[in-house]
Amino acid sequence: MKQIMVMIVLLASFTVAHAAEDVAVKAKAEGVATFYANITAVEPIMEAFQADTGVKGQYTRISTSKFVATILTEFEAGKLMADVVQGPLPVLEILKQKGVLAPYSSPAAAGYPEWTRKDEAIQLFGIEYVGLIYNKDLVKAADAPKRYQDLADPKWKDKIVMANPANHATTISWLVGLKENVFSSEDEWRTFLKGLAANKPMFVASFGPTPAPVESGEKLIAISMPKYIITKAPAPLDWARLEQPLFGSPRAIAVTANAPHPNAAKLFVDYWLSAKAMGMLATDVGEYVLAPGVFPPIDGMDKAKVLPIRELSDEEIQKWGTEFQAIFDVK
Amino acid sequence: MDTGRSKLTWSLILIVGALTVCPVIMLILGSFSEGLTAFGSFTVQKYVDAYTDPALAGIIVNTVVFVLGSSTLATTLALFLAYLNNRTDIPCKFLFRIISIIPMMIPHVLFSVSWALLLNPSNGLINLVFKQAFFLESAPLNIYSLWGMILVEGLLDLPIAYLIIAPAMASFDVALEESSKVCGAGAWRTLLRVTLPVLRPAILAAFILGVVRSLASFAVPSVIGMPGRVYVLATHLYQMISTGFSTDYGKAAAVGMSVLAASITLIFIYRAMTAESEKYVTISSRGYRPTVVPLKAARIPLFAVVALLSFVLIVLPVAVLFYTSLVPYSMVPSAKAFSLMSWKHWIEVLKDPISLLSLKNSLYLGVGGATLGVALSVFVAYTIVKVKTKAAGILESLSFLSFSFPGIVIGVGFMWFFVRTPLYATIWALLIGYIATYLPYGVRPLASAFIQVHSHLEESSLVCGAGRMTTMRRIIIPLLVPGMVSGWILMATMFVRELTLSVVLSRPGTEVLAVQILRFAEDGLWGRLSALGIMMIFISTALVLLATLVGSRFKPAGT
Repeated sequence: MKQIMVMIVLLASFTVAHAAEDVAVKAKAEGVATFYANITAVEPIMEAFQADTGVKGQYTRISTSKFVATILTEFEAGKLMADVVQGPLPVLEILKQKGVLAPYSSPAAAGYPEWTRKDEAIQLFGIEYVGLIYNKDLVKAADAPKRYQDLADPKWKDKIVMANPANHATTISWLVGLKENVFSSEDEWRTFLKGLAANKPMFVASFGPTPAPVESGEKLIAISMPKYIITKAPAPLDWARLEQPLFGSPRAIAVTANAPHPNAAKLFVDYWLSAKAMGMLATDVGEYVLAPGVFPPIDGMDKAKVLPIRELSDEEIQKWGTEFQAIFDVK
Repeated sequence: MDTGRSKLTWSLILIVGALTVCPVIMLILGSFSEGLTAFGSFTVQKYVDAYTDPALAGIIVNTVVFVLGSSTLATTLALFLAYLNNRTDIPCKFLFRIISIIPMMIPHVLFSVSWALLLNPSNGLINLVFKQAFFLESAPLNIYSLWGMILVEGLLDLPIAYLIIAPAMASFDVALEESSKVCGAGAWRTLLRVTLPVLRPAILAAFILGVVRSLASFAVPSVIGMPGRVYVLATHLYQMISTGFSTDYGKAAAVGMSVLAASITLIFIYRAMTAESEKYVTISSRGYRPTVVPLKAARIPLFAVVALLSFVLIVLPVAVLFYTSLVPYSMVPSAKAFSLMSWKHWIEVLKDPISLLSLKNSLYLGVGGATLGVALSVFVAYTIVKVKTKAAGILESLSFLSFSFPGIVIGVGFMWFFVRTPLYATIWALLIGYIATYLPYGVRPLASAFIQVHSHLEESSLVCGAGRMTTMRRIIIPLLVPGMVSGWILMATMFVRELTLSVVLSRPGTEVLAVQILRFAEDGLWGRLSALGIMMIFISTALVLLATLVGSRFKPAGT
């Protein structure tokens, strides 16, 4: 019996290895894997992919606000050029509903936590984590917020910058995530929101413009992404080590249905999920990835609790956006 | 009207119509479609949602103040600078001519950010200087306001106004002013009663282009308006399409239809006000040469005013950009900042293959696109001005069609259109889209130049046996050189920094400068963004100098 089991395992691993080899050979013949995403500084990964596999990685960056519209337009016209797409989980779920994604279970995701295998098509690989970053030349670590509630302290009046809570989807989801994961009651959460609004934060269009006013000292603290500590080095940025967890939207990847280069697409997803590529993403860009044991080189981040927030539907985002528009007096 | 003219008009209507109508039709379909693309079940829900928003009334008020304020500022400043540069003996004319068009070469996002660095109420450089000089407790100026938006947008639209007004000012007939003076009017009265009224078509064209441009502008409302919580139509549209992940451009297109209607109305008003364009003809069959008004004692003070204006309004923001490209991160100037300066961001940009490819593509699109665009504009402007029929009116409206749509949505209209053609994802799609959208930048300066060329010149040539093309080449075009140069400069610099179309049409291999700059902006990499932005300014400046030099070689003798 034991011998039969060993035979089965050997046969299975041989089949997997053979299949992987087969994919690699076919991918090389296809020559290119086209990747649509909106993620920073992935060019080194594309170069490494080409060097390691012989398949060219071609990256098209499309902003999140145009992502679904662009892909659906190409898909409906039968001209979707992407082999692989990557974006926030809700974006990929919309694309899956429209039939844009193909099922693919990557062997490279075997070590990832169970909850990252969202379904047969979508694999989560990171969390777009949101934290509080501050100017360490102007704010002492001891004075930095310890809890989210501290953002409502009047001492931060006119000193905060954040993405517009009336329309920035990740900020809206994050604020709702705080209600569901941090605050003990809705009243307590609403008191926090009113306090934060009373501090008159400066609003910008997205996370991208949030660090600059903190670097220059125009503002002292940003509701932003700790990854900027890496990408904006040597700017005097640090992150507030909160007693509470950090939250963010899960980032997902998938192969497209009718991909022009189906084998290159699989090979690319396998490569993307590997410890090497995820290590590059964490080290060079400061991303929080879900590959086991890989952390961004930000002091203390390996100890931090970083959790995915519940993905909100577009209707919920619209509804909360309207509500935050009133609370934060966004005209 | 002879059949030759009719054929020309309808051929142009077909060409311009094909260029501009297709994306607009796609947007109209999208605005009535239930789904997220241009085709789906029919619905009017997007219009209902868009126009029942209670915030819309306040946003429209802000938009009207912003648009009128910035257009007035741009036109007034352009008139002032064009008069001094073209009609007076103010020193350093060539320099001022370049300086007045520099804002156009700077990516609008960068220009807005540099003004925020100068005038933000927390640590804006100018505010810090005022606070120290006058011992103030709080900042006296706040850029994050409606007036701040008007200032920055006005400066960004100044080159457009300047490049339309300056050629008209340059080809002004001395006889009109001399007659006024002979009749006893002083210089000031001549300026108000003769010079400005004669320039009315150019002034109106500049103002209306400013209005249409600022209606569609997004950079200033987002960088200056949003932090100050001052919302206008462009940021309202952005809010509408960016809340949530399924971006509904059809809904944005529904609001955009009002902007389109407003723009078309403005064009008709403009046509009505300049209908009797013969009144403005100043180049007839006699030789002409614009006189130079001696400023005498006012020469140096006025030079100082223009120099100060140029420094504060243009040189300072560009200097801020240069500074930003040298410091490792956003820093207020200090001993520490100067000690940390390096060429790091420049080296990174020059080593980046996509940045280099985008430089090459943008240069190609700037030179090739502007040349084709001006060639088309010559015929369109000629038909609009000299072939005055209803069909010419249609042509004029068509030339404005995709230009007057808010920039934030027109790119999507082009994407919905091009994806159904083999041109999708090629550099040709960008080239055609650019020419279609920015056609008024070529047509307006040429139209105001054509207005001033009397039809007697053309008729004399035809009577003497020259064909229509020969007449155009030998008589008309040499007289239009200032207008052609202006149109080429406007188009080339616009194409070099074009973003709205490029951001949706650009694919690997067709990256352009503005898209690369946007990527840097999204990642908050202001140093690299500034370095690439300055390279963009250099390229545009080189193109401007080239066009000016070529233009001066072909100028008619005696001017």
